[in-house]
Amino acid sequence: MLALAVVVYGMAAHGSAFALQVGTYAAIFAVGALGLSLLLGNSAQISLGQAGFFALGAYAVAWLTTNAGWGFIPAAVVGVFAATCVGVGVGLIALRFAGHYLAMATLAFGLIVYGVFSQLDAFGGVNGITDIPPLDVFRYPLSNVAAYWFAWLVAALAAWTTWNLLRSRTGRAFAALSGDPLAAQVAGVPVKRYKLLAFAYAGALAGLSGALYAGYLGLVIPTAMGVQLSIDFLLMAVLGGSGNISGAVIGAALVAGLDVAGHAWENWRPVAYGVLVVCVVIFFPGGIAGLYVRRRRRARPTESGAEVPRAGAHSAGRVTPPSAQSPLCVEHVGKRFGGLVAVRDVSFALEAGRLTSLIGPNGAGKTTLFNAISGVSAPSAGEIRIGGHAVAGWPAHRIAALGVGRSFQNARLFADLTVLENVVLGAFRCERAGFAADLLALRTARRSEREVLERAWATLRELGLESRAGVYARDLAFGERRRVELARAVVSEPWLLLLDEPAAGLNAQERGRLRRDVLTLRERGVTMLLIEHDMRLVMSISDRVLVLNFGELIADGTPAAVRDDPAVIAAYLGAAPESGEAESLR
Amino acid sequence: MIDFVLQLVIAGLTVGSAYALVALGYHVILRATRAINFSQGEFVVLGGLIAYTFVHVLHASPWLGLLGATAAGFALGWIYERIVLRPAARNGDIAVIIATIGCVFILLYGHALIWGSLPQPLPPFTGAQGQALHPGGVAIQEQSLWVFALLAFALFVLWLLFERTTFGKAIRAAAVNPIGAQLVGIDVNAARAASVGIAIALAAFGGTLLGPITLVGGTAGTAIAIKGFVGAVVGGLDSPLGCALGGLAVGVIEKLLAGWLPYQAVDPVVYTLLLFALIVRPQGLLGRRGAVRD
Repeated sequence: MLALAVVVYGMAAHGSAFALQVGTYAAIFAVGALGLSLLLGNSAQISLGQAGFFALGAYAVAWLTTNAGWGFIPAAVVGVFAATCVGVGVGLIALRFAGHYLAMATLAFGLIVYGVFSQLDAFGGVNGITDIPPLDVFRYPLSNVAAYWFAWLVAALAAWTTWNLLRSRTGRAFAALSGDPLAAQVAGVPVKRYKLLAFAYAGALAGLSGALYAGYLGLVIPTAMGVQLSIDFLLMAVLGGSGNISGAVIGAALVAGLDVAGHAWENWRPVAYGVLVVCVVIFFPGGIAGLYVRRRRRARPTESGAEVPRAGAHSAGRVTPPSAQSPLCVEHVGKRFGGLVAVRDVSFALEAGRLTSLIGPNGAGKTTLFNAISGVSAPSAGEIRIGGHAVAGWPAHRIAALGVGRSFQNARLFADLTVLENVVLGAFRCERAGFAADLLALRTARRSEREVLERAWATLRELGLESRAGVYARDLAFGERRRVELARAVVSEPWLLLLDEPAAGLNAQERGRLRRDVLTLRERGVTMLLIEHDMRLVMSISDRVLVLNFGELIADGTPAAVRDDPAVIAAYLGAAPESGEAESLR
Repeated sequence: MIDFVLQLVIAGLTVGSAYALVALGYHVILRATRAINFSQGEFVVLGGLIAYTFVHVLHASPWLGLLGATAAGFALGWIYERIVLRPAARNGDIAVIIATIGCVFILLYGHALIWGSLPQPLPPFTGAQGQALHPGGVAIQEQSLWVFALLAFALFVLWLLFERTTFGKAIRAAAVNPIGAQLVGIDVNAARAASVGIAIALAAFGGTLLGPITLVGGTAGTAIAIKGFVGAVVGGLDSPLGCALGGLAVGVIEKLLAGWLPYQAVDPVVYTLLLFALIVRPQGLLGRRGAVRD
């Protein structure tokens, strides 16, 4: 970053008019490249239509300054606003499609914008708009040198806000949704909202880039904003290293330099760009930034494990459900997949603060029921009430936000994040900072950040994971992975906890540890629903046991009563003498 | 009026044949590699230029040009899979998309370096340039008839290949379950390379067929690529018949629009159709639900 600043200063102080021109373009394109880099590298979405947003910004400035006599700054604000709104619109398409559908749709979007501007006579048709007044700041016109500094100031601001975003909860949300969208949703991250946000932000920056471009160059023509420009942006982001802020600036500077300096090789240049793009994605997926950033990682807030908060800074207290009603009421819930009925007319209500186990043979529909309760997939029939709210059909993040934690049968951690980061993500719903606070790194954002870190450390300490905080989740042993998942589920202090086979695959010692942890949680007043196959564990810790078989509830009672229930024995052993049906199941 | 519309429909079916072949190419590559090849349109242009070289430089007949372009397409596709698609796939789906886009630029500006940026004429397969038949007052170029016949022929060959040969079964098995296919002794890598080869051969074949009508070379590739994709999405990316019919339909829609709209307005409207189709019926008219989204 410092090196970049020195280069930027040096070009202004000692550079020729030519260097100044290249430098200004570099700053202008860096703004747009930053947005695409975040979209591509952090939210794992692609856009081949950035030129469309660029054109919106550029035409807004061109039209408003020439036809309406506006100054540059208000015109640019309008342009960025338009680009942001359209970014949300394109983002809505992105919610339904990923990968190549999205790539093709955004490519089409860029071409549509291009087509519209080259068609409309109000915008000069194919000739565009010329004679745009030079850049001004509140009517004060800027010289070339001042324009250079102005462009770099805007680029630096864009880099700063992007950096703020990436090291706040927004950055964590991106990391989570690009790692495992389902786990992110269950941890309380509104995945769709953040995908949209990434598109809107990338659109806004491309629009800002276009606005500066129009003001600096003094003319806009549609052909300058075609597919080629979208691909140029892609090249800048990829060449610099997508998801990396300084990389995006370097990529933009290189491409701007090649664009301006490479006029002599006009015909060869695009071919060289193509070769460069292909080589970079194949041989250097980290781009230029990958060469100086040792490990390919995203900008992350919590990697500075240095400042470990002192013990006791945050301590978990008793939790109480928000209403006097039953924490979880399942009413006639059914779930079918095509012709297959996985769960049929299941009803039960949990008592607050109790530990209830849900058992049943494999394929009985236990996890399906969990998915319905936690919002992973809506039930086909019936209603689910959590703390009095009818939640059937709610998205998972809204259910999580009520105060519901969940673990998965196969421990879905975010493999590319550290243990601490995984746990911090679990506290997503407890963070209060809004988007604007994140963007500008306001005090509320920093305070919320500190609180969440304290919480996460407290949870790690409680579960004996403190020493593993800096380890990447993918490097963990299986038992530890499960414990980290438990930490992620409880860090937000849920009052309802759904645990899906927490003991599966654990050794005897780890099972003892799990048992203690679960009992501690019960003491704290957490209502728990536990799917488990380890009968010794189930029978010794449960207050109540529910038995599911072929999607139907066949028993409900104390562990002792359930153990002796003939229907349960039949379901497990298929050996009840009076049941011919059970016999045939063997 | 009816004649005018009929005339537009015939013109639409003719260009639509190229879109149909591109859409089929998407289908074949998608099935084999789970990727969309963004440079498919550029290979159409390249195919036409290879045929042009056969005809104008080597003084061969257009038929030999067609054969040569198709064979060269297969070889290029095979190489393309080996040196671009497969290595990029190691770095994820987005890397593949970006790599194929990089190839658009290499091809688009690369062939301008070799053959020049101006489109070139290709002689029709039979008869004189622009010679038309006039059944019932509607003019049909002889070449259009060849386009229809050879499109049908290509569809038939594809069907034979994929449905009636062990080779086709191997390719399908490799696509559905690579590990399982490997276990029963199928060379999965070769099957993928062959699939991409077939897809690029289809593109080159299409470029040569259309050459005598639209000229070859120039910058038409991007538009062909997107319109082919529109066709594939409208018809259903997972259905070969859907891809072919979708491509033809897009051609007809394009020409009908061109009958009334200024020509620069046509393409944006067709692209809007893509966004519309994606939102309303992403699985396509003949596709299955749940087959899309990745």
